[in-house]
Amino acid sequence: MSDAKAGRSGPTTSTYALIPKPANLQCMDLQEYLRTRTAETLEKLYNYPTICLAVYRELPEIARQFVIRILFVEQPVPQAVVASWGSQHYAKEQAASTACLTELNVWRVTAIPGGLSAWELCPTFKKNLKIALLGGGKPWSMSHTLEKDSKPRDIAFLDTYAMARWRCVLHYMVGTGSSNKAQDSEGISPDAVRILLHANLMKRDERDGITITRQGFQFLLLDTQSQVWHFMLQYLDTCEERGLSLPDCLSMLFQLSFSTLGRDYSSEGMSPKMLTFLQHLREFGLVFQRKRKEGRFYPTRLALNVTNKHAAVPAVIAEDDKAQESGYIVVETNYRVYAYTDSPLQVAVLGLFTELLYRFPNLVVGVLTRDSVRQALRGGITADQIVSYLEQYSHPNMKLTESAIKSKSPLPPTVVDQIKLWELERNRFTYTEGVVYNQFLSQADFVTLRDYAQSINVLVHMNERTRTMVVTKNGHDDVKRFWKRYSKSGG
Amino acid sequence: MVNVMKGVFVECDPAMKQFLLHLDETLALGRKFIIQDLDENHLFISTDIVETLQARVDDLMDRISFPLHEKDP
Repeated sequence: MSDAKAGRSGPTTSTYALIPKPANLQCMDLQEYLRTRTAETLEKLYNYPTICLAVYRELPEIARQFVIRILFVEQPVPQAVVASWGSQHYAKEQAASTACLTELNVWRVTAIPGGLSAWELCPTFKKNLKIALLGGGKPWSMSHTLEKDSKPRDIAFLDTYAMARWRCVLHYMVGTGSSNKAQDSEGISPDAVRILLHANLMKRDERDGITITRQGFQFLLLDTQSQVWHFMLQYLDTCEERGLSLPDCLSMLFQLSFSTLGRDYSSEGMSPKMLTFLQHLREFGLVFQRKRKEGRFYPTRLALNVTNKHAAVPAVIAEDDKAQESGYIVVETNYRVYAYTDSPLQVAVLGLFTELLYRFPNLVVGVLTRDSVRQALRGGITADQIVSYLEQYSHPNMKLTESAIKSKSPLPPTVVDQIKLWELERNRFTYTEGVVYNQFLSQADFVTLRDYAQSINVLVHMNERTRTMVVTKNGHDDVKRFWKRYSKSGG
Repeated sequence: MVNVMKGVFVECDPAMKQFLLHLDETLALGRKFIIQDLDENHLFISTDIVETLQARVDDLMDRISFPLHEKDP
Protein backbone atom coordinates (compact mmCIF):
# COMPACT_ATOMS: atom_id res chain seq x y z
CA MET A 1 0.00 0.00 0.00
CA SER A 2 2.59 2.46 1.12
CA ASP A 3 4.88 1.74 -1.81
CA ALA A 4 2.18 2.45 -4.31
CA LYS A 5 1.63 5.75 -2.62
CA ALA A 6 5.29 6.60 -2.65
CA GLY A 7 5.30 5.85 -6.33
CA ARG A 8 2.53 8.24 -7.09
CA SER A 9 3.63 11.03 -4.84
CA GLY A 10 7.13 10.97 -6.25
CA PRO A 11 8.27 14.09 -8.01
CA THR A 12 6.74 14.21 -11.43
CA THR A 13 8.81 17.03 -12.81
CA SER A 14 11.09 14.77 -14.80
CA THR A 15 8.35 12.38 -15.83
CA TYR A 16 8.13 13.61 -19.37
CA ALA A 17 11.71 14.67 -19.79
CA LEU A 18 12.47 11.45 -21.55
CA ILE A 19 10.08 11.67 -24.45
CA PRO A 20 10.60 15.07 -25.99
CA LYS A 21 7.26 16.75 -25.58
CA PRO A 22 6.29 19.24 -28.23
CA ALA A 23 6.29 22.76 -26.96
CA ASN A 24 2.68 23.72 -26.70
CA LEU A 25 1.25 27.02 -27.61
CA GLN A 26 1.35 29.33 -24.64
CA CYS A 27 -1.27 31.96 -24.75
CA MET A 28 -0.52 34.58 -22.14
CA ASP A 29 -2.97 37.18 -20.98
CA LEU A 30 -1.90 40.73 -20.27
CA GLN A 31 -0.95 40.05 -16.67
CA GLU A 32 1.17 37.05 -17.49
CA TYR A 33 2.79 38.99 -20.27
CA LEU A 34 3.70 41.89 -18.01
CA ARG A 35 4.94 39.54 -15.34
CA THR A 36 7.57 38.26 -17.74
CA ARG A 37 8.87 41.77 -18.38
CA THR A 38 11.69 43.24 -16.32
CA ALA A 39 11.08 45.87 -13.67
CA GLU A 40 12.72 48.53 -15.85
CA THR A 41 10.45 47.76 -18.77
CA LEU A 42 7.42 47.95 -16.51
CA GLU A 43 8.61 51.27 -15.18
CA LYS A 44 8.89 52.55 -18.75
CA LEU A 45 5.46 51.19 -19.63
CA TYR A 46 3.87 52.89 -16.66
CA ASN A 47 4.88 56.24 -18.11
CA TYR A 48 1.85 55.92 -20.36
CA PRO A 49 -1.55 56.63 -18.81
CA THR A 50 -3.26 54.28 -21.28
CA ILE A 51 -1.12 51.37 -20.23
CA CYS A 52 -1.78 52.14 -16.55
CA LEU A 53 -5.49 52.16 -17.24
CA ALA A 54 -5.34 48.88 -19.14
CA VAL A 55 -3.33 47.27 -16.35
CA TYR A 56 -5.74 48.60 -13.76
CA ARG A 57 -8.71 47.17 -15.63
CA GLU A 58 -7.13 43.75 -15.81
CA LEU A 59 -6.33 43.52 -12.09
CA PRO A 60 -8.32 41.17 -9.86
CA GLU A 61 -11.29 42.87 -8.25
CA ILE A 62 -9.77 43.11 -4.78
CA ALA A 63 -6.54 44.48 -6.19
CA ARG A 64 -8.52 47.20 -7.97
CA GLN A 65 -10.11 48.10 -4.65
CA PHE A 66 -6.72 48.40 -3.00
CA VAL A 67 -5.36 50.59 -5.76
CA ILE A 68 -8.29 52.96 -5.86
CA ARG A 69 -8.33 53.29 -2.06
CA ILE A 70 -4.70 54.28 -1.79
CA LEU A 71 -4.46 56.18 -5.05
CA PHE A 72 -5.06 59.52 -3.40
CA VAL A 73 -3.34 58.78 -0.12
CA GLU A 74 -0.14 60.76 -0.16
CA GLN A 75 1.77 58.51 2.21
CA PRO A 76 2.50 54.80 2.46
CA VAL A 77 -0.30 52.74 3.98
CA PRO A 78 0.68 50.15 6.62
CA GLN A 79 0.26 46.57 5.37
CA ALA A 80 -1.88 45.72 8.38
CA VAL A 81 -4.34 48.43 7.42
CA VAL A 82 -4.63 47.16 3.87
CA ALA A 83 -5.10 43.62 5.14
CA SER A 84 -7.92 44.75 7.45
CA TRP A 85 -10.01 46.01 4.53
CA GLY A 86 -11.20 42.57 3.61
CA SER A 87 -12.82 39.91 5.73
CA GLN A 88 -10.84 36.92 6.92
CA HIS A 89 -13.10 34.83 4.77
CA TYR A 90 -11.37 35.95 1.61
CA ALA A 91 -7.81 35.88 2.91
CA LYS A 92 -6.75 33.72 0.00
CA GLU A 93 -8.06 36.07 -2.67
CA GLN A 94 -6.52 38.99 -0.83
CA ALA A 95 -3.15 37.32 -0.72
CA ALA A 96 -3.40 36.62 -4.44
CA SER A 97 -4.27 40.24 -5.16
CA THR A 98 -1.42 41.48 -3.01
CA ALA A 99 1.02 39.20 -4.78
CA CYS A 100 -0.32 40.29 -8.15
CA LEU A 101 0.18 43.98 -7.38
CA THR A 102 3.70 43.31 -6.19
CA GLU A 103 4.62 41.23 -9.22
CA LEU A 104 3.36 43.85 -11.60
CA ASN A 105 5.34 46.51 -9.76
CA VAL A 106 2.18 48.47 -9.16
CA TRP A 107 3.08 48.90 -5.53
CA ARG A 108 6.08 48.16 -3.37
CA VAL A 109 6.97 47.70 0.24
CA THR A 110 8.46 50.60 2.15
CA ALA A 111 9.29 51.03 5.79
CA ILE A 112 7.50 53.70 7.72
CA PRO A 113 8.58 55.16 11.05
CA GLY A 114 7.76 52.76 13.84
CA GLY A 115 9.25 49.77 12.06
CA LEU A 116 6.09 48.78 10.25
CA SER A 117 6.17 47.84 6.62
CA ALA A 118 3.76 49.62 4.37
CA TRP A 119 2.51 49.62 0.80
CA GLU A 120 3.19 52.50 -1.49
CA LEU A 121 2.04 52.78 -5.08
CA CYS A 122 4.86 53.03 -7.54
CA PRO A 123 5.03 56.82 -8.22
CA THR A 124 5.02 56.51 -12.02
CA PHE A 125 2.01 54.25 -11.97
CA LYS A 126 0.24 56.47 -9.48
CA LYS A 127 0.81 59.63 -11.45
CA ASN A 128 -0.27 58.16 -14.75
CA LEU A 129 -3.29 56.29 -13.49
CA LYS A 130 -4.50 59.57 -12.04
CA ILE A 131 -4.03 61.16 -15.43
CA ALA A 132 -5.93 58.33 -17.07
CA LEU A 133 -8.81 58.66 -14.65
CA LEU A 134 -8.95 62.41 -14.22
CA GLY A 135 -7.55 63.73 -17.45
CA GLY A 136 -4.65 66.06 -17.93
CA GLY A 137 -1.17 65.30 -19.11
CA LYS A 138 -0.20 65.21 -22.73
CA PRO A 139 -3.01 64.80 -25.23
CA TRP A 140 -3.44 61.31 -26.62
CA SER A 141 -1.76 60.98 -29.93
CA MET A 142 -5.02 59.66 -31.29
CA SER A 143 -7.56 62.42 -31.53
CA HIS A 144 -10.95 62.79 -33.10
CA THR A 145 -10.95 64.17 -36.57
CA LEU A 146 -12.05 67.73 -36.90
CA GLU A 147 -14.00 67.57 -40.12
CA LYS A 148 -16.57 64.91 -40.78
CA ASP A 149 -15.73 62.01 -43.05
CA SER A 150 -17.45 62.55 -46.36
CA LYS A 151 -17.99 58.80 -46.74
CA PRO A 152 -18.29 57.43 -43.22
CA ARG A 153 -17.96 53.68 -42.75
CA ASP A 154 -20.44 51.82 -40.61
CA ILE A 155 -19.79 49.09 -38.11
CA ALA A 156 -20.91 46.28 -40.42
CA PHE A 157 -18.43 47.38 -43.02
CA LEU A 158 -15.62 47.52 -40.47
CA ASP A 159 -16.45 44.05 -39.19
CA THR A 160 -16.37 42.56 -42.65
CA TYR A 161 -13.17 44.35 -43.43
CA ALA A 162 -11.47 43.27 -40.21
CA MET A 163 -12.46 39.64 -40.60
CA ALA A 164 -11.36 39.59 -44.22
CA ARG A 165 -7.95 40.95 -43.30
CA TRP A 166 -7.55 38.62 -40.35
CA ARG A 167 -8.61 35.60 -42.39
CA CYS A 168 -5.93 36.55 -44.85
CA VAL A 169 -3.34 35.83 -42.19
CA LEU A 170 -5.02 32.55 -41.22
CA HIS A 171 -5.40 31.54 -44.85
CA TYR A 172 -1.77 32.12 -45.39
CA MET A 173 -1.02 29.84 -42.46
CA VAL A 174 -3.02 26.91 -43.79
CA GLY A 175 -1.65 27.55 -47.23
CA THR A 176 -4.95 28.09 -48.93
CA GLY A 177 -4.20 31.71 -49.67
CA SER A 178 -2.55 30.88 -52.94
CA SER A 179 -5.39 28.75 -54.25
CA ASN A 180 -7.86 31.57 -54.40
CA LYS A 181 -5.81 34.52 -55.39
CA ALA A 182 -8.84 36.36 -56.63
CA GLN A 183 -10.34 36.59 -53.17
CA ASP A 184 -7.28 37.68 -51.26
CA SER A 185 -5.37 39.43 -53.93
CA GLU A 186 -3.16 41.20 -51.43
CA GLY A 187 -1.82 38.26 -49.49
CA ILE A 188 0.31 39.14 -46.53
CA SER A 189 3.50 41.13 -46.27
CA PRO A 190 6.95 39.75 -45.57
CA ASP A 191 6.73 41.50 -42.22
CA ALA A 192 3.74 39.45 -41.15
CA VAL A 193 5.47 36.30 -42.33
CA ARG A 194 8.41 37.22 -40.18
CA ILE A 195 6.16 37.51 -37.15
CA LEU A 196 4.60 34.13 -37.84
CA LEU A 197 8.07 32.63 -38.09
CA HIS A 198 9.20 34.38 -34.94
CA ALA A 199 6.14 33.17 -33.07
CA ASN A 200 6.95 29.61 -34.07
CA LEU A 201 3.55 29.39 -35.67
CA MET A 202 5.26 28.63 -38.94
CA LYS A 203 8.70 27.39 -39.75
CA ARG A 204 10.99 27.58 -42.70
CA ASP A 205 11.57 24.20 -44.20
CA GLU A 206 14.44 23.43 -46.55
CA ARG A 207 12.18 21.43 -48.78
CA ASP A 208 8.73 22.95 -48.78
CA GLY A 209 9.49 26.56 -47.98
CA ILE A 210 7.39 27.91 -45.13
CA THR A 211 5.12 25.44 -43.38
CA ILE A 212 2.85 25.54 -40.41
CA THR A 213 4.03 24.17 -37.05
CA ARG A 214 2.09 22.31 -34.38
CA GLN A 215 1.81 25.54 -32.43
CA GLY A 216 0.34 27.01 -35.58
CA PHE A 217 -2.35 24.35 -35.66
CA GLN A 218 -3.20 25.05 -32.05
CA PHE A 219 -3.30 28.73 -32.88
CA LEU A 220 -5.91 28.08 -35.57
CA LEU A 221 -8.17 26.39 -33.05
CA LEU A 222 -8.26 29.44 -30.77
CA ASP A 223 -11.04 31.97 -31.00
CA THR A 224 -10.34 35.11 -32.98
CA GLN A 225 -9.79 37.36 -30.01
CA SER A 226 -7.16 35.12 -28.45
CA GLN A 227 -5.54 34.77 -31.84
CA VAL A 228 -5.25 38.52 -32.27
CA TRP A 229 -3.86 39.00 -28.79
CA HIS A 230 -1.33 36.21 -29.14
CA PHE A 231 -0.28 37.50 -32.51
CA MET A 232 0.13 41.07 -31.22
CA LEU A 233 2.25 39.87 -28.31
CA GLN A 234 4.55 38.17 -30.76
CA TYR A 235 4.57 41.32 -32.84
CA LEU A 236 5.55 43.37 -29.80
CA ASP A 237 8.41 40.97 -29.14
CA THR A 238 9.91 41.85 -32.46
CA CYS A 239 9.00 45.52 -32.55
CA GLU A 240 12.27 46.64 -30.99
CA GLU A 241 14.11 45.04 -33.88
CA ARG A 242 12.29 47.14 -36.37
CA GLY A 243 13.06 50.29 -34.44
CA LEU A 244 9.69 50.78 -32.79
CA SER A 245 9.60 51.30 -29.07
CA LEU A 246 7.64 48.74 -27.11
CA PRO A 247 5.99 51.22 -24.72
CA ASP A 248 4.89 53.41 -27.64
CA CYS A 249 3.35 50.48 -29.49
CA LEU A 250 1.68 49.03 -26.44
CA SER A 251 0.27 52.39 -25.47
CA MET A 252 -1.07 52.88 -29.00
CA LEU A 253 -2.61 49.42 -28.94
CA PHE A 254 -4.41 50.21 -25.70
CA GLN A 255 -5.57 53.58 -26.98
CA LEU A 256 -7.15 51.73 -29.85
CA SER A 257 -8.70 49.23 -27.52
CA PHE A 258 -10.34 52.05 -25.54
CA SER A 259 -11.66 53.76 -28.64
CA THR A 260 -15.21 53.69 -29.96
CA LEU A 261 -16.22 51.33 -32.71
CA GLY A 262 -17.49 53.05 -35.81
CA ARG A 263 -15.79 56.39 -35.14
CA ASP A 264 -12.98 57.83 -37.10
CA TYR A 265 -9.81 59.09 -35.51
CA SER A 266 -7.09 61.31 -36.83
CA SER A 267 -3.52 60.16 -37.12
CA GLU A 268 -2.30 63.73 -37.07
CA GLY A 269 0.52 64.35 -34.66
CA MET A 270 1.67 60.74 -34.67
CA SER A 271 5.36 60.17 -35.02
CA PRO A 272 6.55 58.52 -38.25
CA LYS A 273 7.29 55.37 -36.28
CA MET A 274 3.77 55.18 -34.96
CA LEU A 275 2.49 55.67 -38.48
CA THR A 276 4.49 52.59 -39.48
CA PHE A 277 2.90 50.71 -36.61
CA LEU A 278 -0.49 51.92 -37.78
CA GLN A 279 0.21 50.50 -41.22
CA HIS A 280 1.00 47.13 -39.68
CA LEU A 281 -2.20 47.21 -37.67
CA ARG A 282 -3.99 48.08 -40.88
CA GLU A 283 -2.58 45.02 -42.55
CA PHE A 284 -3.91 42.70 -39.86
CA GLY A 285 -7.28 44.38 -39.88
CA LEU A 286 -7.07 46.09 -36.50
CA VAL A 287 -7.69 49.45 -38.08
CA PHE A 288 -9.26 50.52 -41.33
CA GLN A 289 -7.76 53.22 -43.48
CA ARG A 290 -8.89 54.01 -46.94
CA LYS A 291 -5.55 55.16 -48.18
CA ARG A 292 -2.11 54.87 -46.67
CA LYS A 293 -1.64 58.62 -46.59
CA GLU A 294 -5.08 59.47 -45.32
CA GLY A 295 -4.92 61.08 -41.90
CA ARG A 296 -8.01 59.25 -40.78
CA PHE A 297 -8.56 55.74 -39.53
CA TYR A 298 -11.24 53.59 -37.94
CA PRO A 299 -10.42 51.06 -35.23
CA THR A 300 -12.17 47.73 -35.86
CA ARG A 301 -13.61 45.22 -33.47
CA LEU A 302 -10.37 43.25 -33.50
CA ALA A 303 -8.58 46.14 -31.84
CA LEU A 304 -11.26 46.80 -29.25
CA ASN A 305 -10.78 45.04 -25.96
CA VAL A 306 -7.73 43.40 -27.38
CA THR A 307 -6.48 42.61 -23.89
CA ASN A 308 -9.65 41.26 -22.52
CA LYS A 309 -10.25 37.64 -23.38
CA HIS A 310 -13.51 37.43 -21.52
CA ALA A 311 -14.85 40.65 -22.91
CA ALA A 312 -18.57 40.88 -23.03
CA VAL A 313 -18.44 41.81 -26.70
CA PRO A 314 -17.99 38.56 -28.51
CA ALA A 315 -16.67 38.99 -31.98
CA VAL A 316 -20.02 39.77 -33.46
CA ILE A 317 -19.52 39.51 -37.13
CA ALA A 318 -21.54 41.12 -39.87
CA GLU A 319 -24.95 39.52 -40.24
CA ASP A 320 -24.40 37.35 -43.28
CA ASP A 321 -21.15 36.04 -41.90
CA LYS A 322 -22.65 35.49 -38.54
CA ALA A 323 -24.43 32.23 -39.26
CA GLN A 324 -21.24 30.84 -40.63
CA GLU A 325 -19.12 32.12 -37.80
CA SER A 326 -21.32 31.17 -34.91
CA GLY A 327 -22.06 27.64 -35.97
CA TYR A 328 -21.74 25.53 -39.03
CA ILE A 329 -20.71 22.12 -37.74
CA VAL A 330 -23.04 19.22 -37.11
CA VAL A 331 -21.60 16.18 -35.37
CA GLU A 332 -23.61 12.98 -35.33
CA THR A 333 -23.33 10.08 -32.93
CA ASN A 334 -21.89 7.96 -35.73
CA TYR A 335 -18.86 10.27 -35.81
CA ARG A 336 -19.91 11.94 -39.00
CA VAL A 337 -19.22 15.63 -39.25
CA TYR A 338 -21.17 17.93 -41.54
CA ALA A 339 -19.80 21.40 -41.96
CA TYR A 340 -21.91 23.97 -43.75
CA THR A 341 -19.17 26.17 -45.04
CA ASP A 342 -17.46 27.23 -48.19
CA SER A 343 -14.48 28.80 -46.47
CA PRO A 344 -11.26 26.98 -47.37
CA LEU A 345 -9.88 28.06 -44.02
CA GLN A 346 -12.60 26.33 -42.03
CA VAL A 347 -12.30 23.25 -44.18
CA ALA A 348 -8.57 23.20 -43.65
CA VAL A 349 -8.94 23.49 -39.89
CA LEU A 350 -11.54 20.75 -39.86
CA GLY A 351 -9.24 18.63 -41.98
CA LEU A 352 -6.72 18.68 -39.16
CA PHE A 353 -8.68 16.16 -37.16
CA THR A 354 -11.35 14.70 -39.44
CA GLU A 355 -11.16 12.54 -42.49
CA LEU A 356 -12.93 14.49 -45.19
CA LEU A 357 -15.19 12.39 -47.39
CA TYR A 358 -17.23 14.62 -49.66
CA ARG A 359 -17.13 18.22 -50.61
CA PHE A 360 -20.03 20.20 -51.97
CA PRO A 361 -20.28 23.89 -52.75
CA ASN A 362 -21.59 24.77 -49.31
CA LEU A 363 -21.11 21.57 -47.38
CA VAL A 364 -18.24 19.37 -46.36
CA VAL A 365 -18.78 15.89 -44.98
CA GLY A 366 -16.15 14.19 -42.93
CA VAL A 367 -15.81 11.55 -40.31
CA LEU A 368 -13.89 11.51 -37.04
CA THR A 369 -11.76 8.39 -37.10
CA ARG A 370 -9.24 7.10 -34.69
CA ASP A 371 -6.54 7.68 -37.27
CA SER A 372 -7.53 11.22 -38.05
CA VAL A 373 -7.78 12.18 -34.41
CA ARG A 374 -4.52 10.48 -33.57
CA GLN A 375 -2.91 12.35 -36.41
CA ALA A 376 -4.02 15.58 -34.77
CA LEU A 377 -2.91 14.39 -31.33
CA ARG A 378 0.49 13.54 -32.73
CA GLY A 379 0.58 17.04 -34.16
CA GLY A 380 0.32 18.36 -30.62
CA ILE A 381 -3.36 19.26 -30.64
CA THR A 382 -5.11 18.11 -27.49
CA ALA A 383 -8.45 16.35 -27.26
CA ASP A 384 -9.81 19.32 -25.34
CA GLN A 385 -8.89 21.67 -28.14
CA ILE A 386 -10.69 19.51 -30.69
CA VAL A 387 -13.77 19.25 -28.53
CA SER A 388 -13.83 22.94 -27.74
CA TYR A 389 -13.45 23.82 -31.41
CA LEU A 390 -16.36 21.58 -32.35
CA GLU A 391 -18.41 23.02 -29.51
CA GLN A 392 -17.58 26.59 -30.37
CA TYR A 393 -18.69 26.22 -33.97
CA SER A 394 -21.47 23.71 -33.57
CA HIS A 395 -24.58 24.42 -35.56
CA PRO A 396 -27.42 26.15 -33.68
CA ASN A 397 -29.63 23.11 -34.31
CA MET A 398 -27.16 20.95 -32.41
CA LYS A 399 -28.01 22.89 -29.29
CA LEU A 400 -31.65 21.83 -29.55
CA THR A 401 -31.03 18.09 -29.30
CA GLU A 402 -32.10 16.28 -26.21
CA SER A 403 -28.61 15.48 -25.01
CA ALA A 404 -27.49 19.05 -25.53
CA ILE A 405 -30.24 20.37 -23.33
CA LYS A 406 -29.40 17.93 -20.56
CA SER A 407 -25.67 18.38 -20.69
CA LYS A 408 -23.83 21.57 -21.43
CA SER A 409 -22.14 20.39 -24.58
CA PRO A 410 -24.01 20.37 -27.89
CA LEU A 411 -21.90 17.44 -29.06
CA PRO A 412 -23.01 13.82 -28.66
CA PRO A 413 -21.42 12.55 -25.43
CA THR A 414 -20.15 9.37 -27.07
CA VAL A 415 -18.09 11.36 -29.53
CA VAL A 416 -16.64 13.61 -26.85
CA ASP A 417 -15.76 10.62 -24.69
CA GLN A 418 -14.23 8.74 -27.57
CA ILE A 419 -12.00 11.63 -28.56
CA LYS A 420 -10.79 11.82 -24.98
CA LEU A 421 -10.28 8.06 -24.86
CA TRP A 422 -8.19 8.21 -28.01
CA GLU A 423 -6.02 10.74 -26.26
CA LEU A 424 -5.74 8.72 -23.06
CA GLU A 425 -4.81 5.65 -25.03
CA ARG A 426 -1.60 7.32 -26.04
CA ASN A 427 -0.61 7.95 -22.44
CA ARG A 428 -0.76 4.53 -20.87
CA PHE A 429 2.76 4.79 -19.60
CA THR A 430 4.55 7.38 -17.60
CA TYR A 431 8.29 7.26 -17.80
CA THR A 432 10.61 8.64 -15.18
CA GLU A 433 14.33 8.49 -15.60
CA GLY A 434 15.86 7.20 -12.43
CA VAL A 435 18.18 4.88 -10.60
CA VAL A 436 17.23 1.65 -8.89
CA TYR A 437 18.84 0.52 -5.63
CA ASN A 438 18.52 -3.12 -4.68
CA GLN A 439 20.28 -6.03 -2.96
CA PHE A 440 20.57 -4.26 0.37
CA LEU A 441 22.28 -6.46 2.92
CA SER A 442 20.20 -5.40 5.86
CA GLN A 443 16.79 -3.93 6.49
CA ALA A 444 18.40 -1.14 8.52
CA ASP A 445 20.51 0.00 5.57
CA PHE A 446 17.47 0.02 3.35
CA VAL A 447 15.34 1.97 5.79
CA THR A 448 18.04 4.57 6.39
CA LEU A 449 18.62 5.18 2.71
CA ARG A 450 14.94 5.20 1.93
CA ASP A 451 14.19 7.70 4.65
CA TYR A 452 16.97 9.92 3.45
CA ALA A 453 15.73 9.82 -0.14
CA GLN A 454 12.25 10.58 1.06
CA SER A 455 13.43 13.49 3.16
CA ILE A 456 15.07 15.21 0.18
CA ASN A 457 12.06 14.39 -1.97
CA VAL A 458 13.70 12.26 -4.63
CA LEU A 459 12.12 8.90 -3.84
CA VAL A 460 10.03 7.64 -6.74
CA HIS A 461 9.17 4.15 -5.63
CA MET A 462 10.07 1.69 -2.92
CA ASN A 463 9.24 -1.80 -1.85
CA GLU A 464 10.13 -2.75 1.67
CA ARG A 465 9.73 -6.48 1.20
CA THR A 466 12.16 -6.78 -1.70
CA ARG A 467 14.31 -3.94 -0.36
CA THR A 468 14.19 -2.06 -3.60
CA MET A 469 13.92 1.65 -4.14
CA VAL A 470 13.99 4.01 -7.11
CA VAL A 471 15.19 7.59 -6.89
CA THR A 472 15.08 10.27 -9.57
CA LYS A 473 18.06 10.83 -11.80
CA ASN A 474 18.76 14.23 -10.25
CA GLY A 475 18.56 12.86 -6.75
CA HIS A 476 21.00 10.04 -7.37
CA ASP A 477 24.16 12.04 -6.65
CA ASP A 478 22.88 13.19 -3.28
CA VAL A 479 21.78 9.73 -2.27
CA LYS A 480 25.09 8.24 -3.41
CA ARG A 481 27.03 10.74 -1.33
CA PHE A 482 24.85 10.03 1.68
CA TRP A 483 25.33 6.31 1.23
CA LYS A 484 29.11 6.64 1.11
CA ARG A 485 29.15 8.71 4.28
CA TYR A 486 26.73 6.33 5.96
CA SER A 487 28.58 3.13 5.05
CA LYS A 488 31.90 4.66 6.09
CA SER A 489 30.63 5.67 9.49
CA GLY A 490 28.84 2.37 9.86
CA GLY A 491 31.81 0.23 8.81
CA MET B 1 26.68 -3.63 -0.13
CA VAL B 2 24.09 -2.25 -2.42
CA ASN B 3 23.54 -2.63 -6.13
CA VAL B 4 22.82 0.49 -8.20
CA MET B 5 21.54 0.63 -11.78
CA LYS B 6 20.40 3.47 -14.02
CA GLY B 7 17.33 3.15 -16.17
CA VAL B 8 13.77 4.26 -16.59
CA PHE B 9 10.97 3.82 -14.09
CA VAL B 10 7.71 2.92 -15.82
CA GLU B 11 4.27 3.30 -14.33
CA CYS B 12 1.38 1.65 -16.17
CA ASP B 13 -1.74 -0.45 -15.74
CA PRO B 14 -1.39 -4.18 -15.03
CA ALA B 15 -2.47 -5.18 -18.54
CA MET B 16 0.19 -3.09 -20.18
CA LYS B 17 2.73 -4.43 -17.72
CA GLN B 18 1.94 -7.96 -18.80
CA PHE B 19 2.43 -6.89 -22.39
CA LEU B 20 5.88 -5.55 -21.54
CA LEU B 21 6.77 -8.77 -19.72
CA HIS B 22 5.68 -10.69 -22.78
CA LEU B 23 7.85 -8.55 -25.08
CA ASP B 24 10.74 -9.11 -22.71
CA GLU B 25 10.34 -12.90 -22.53
CA THR B 26 9.90 -13.43 -26.24
CA LEU B 27 12.81 -11.10 -27.06
CA ALA B 28 10.45 -9.29 -29.41
CA LEU B 29 12.59 -6.17 -29.32
CA GLY B 30 15.74 -8.15 -29.93
CA ARG B 31 16.84 -8.44 -26.33
CA LYS B 32 15.79 -8.34 -22.75
CA PHE B 33 15.13 -4.84 -21.48
CA ILE B 34 13.45 -5.18 -18.11
CA ILE B 35 15.93 -4.54 -15.35
CA GLN B 36 13.58 -5.20 -12.51
CA ASP B 37 9.96 -6.10 -11.98
CA LEU B 38 8.91 -3.84 -9.12
CA ASP B 39 5.21 -4.56 -8.59
CA GLU B 40 2.05 -4.93 -10.59
CA ASN B 41 2.04 -1.34 -11.79
CA HIS B 42 5.73 -0.60 -11.96
CA LEU B 43 8.74 -1.76 -13.90
CA PHE B 44 12.31 -0.65 -14.23
CA ILE B 45 13.68 -0.86 -17.78
CA SER B 46 16.76 0.22 -19.69
CA THR B 47 16.79 3.75 -21.04
CA ASP B 48 17.76 3.11 -24.66
CA ILE B 49 14.75 0.89 -25.37
CA VAL B 50 12.08 3.48 -24.62
CA GLU B 51 11.60 4.78 -28.14
CA THR B 52 11.38 1.33 -29.72
CA LEU B 53 9.01 0.31 -27.01
CA GLN B 54 6.76 3.30 -27.56
CA ALA B 55 6.52 2.52 -31.28
CA ARG B 56 5.75 -1.10 -30.49
CA VAL B 57 2.97 -0.15 -28.10
CA ASP B 58 1.50 2.19 -30.72
CA ASP B 59 1.50 -0.76 -33.12
CA LEU B 60 -0.36 -2.87 -30.61
CA MET B 61 -2.95 -0.19 -30.05
CA ASP B 62 -3.44 0.10 -33.80
CA ARG B 63 -3.98 -3.63 -34.12
CA ILE B 64 -6.48 -3.95 -31.32
CA SER B 65 -8.69 -1.05 -32.36
CA PHE B 66 -11.61 -1.40 -34.72
CA PRO B 67 -13.22 1.27 -36.83
CA LEU B 68 -16.26 2.54 -35.01
CA HIS B 69 -18.12 3.90 -37.96
CA GLU B 70 -18.76 2.97 -41.52
CA LYS B 71 -17.48 5.40 -44.05
CA ASP B 72 -20.24 4.75 -46.55
CA PRO B 73 -23.76 5.29 -45.40
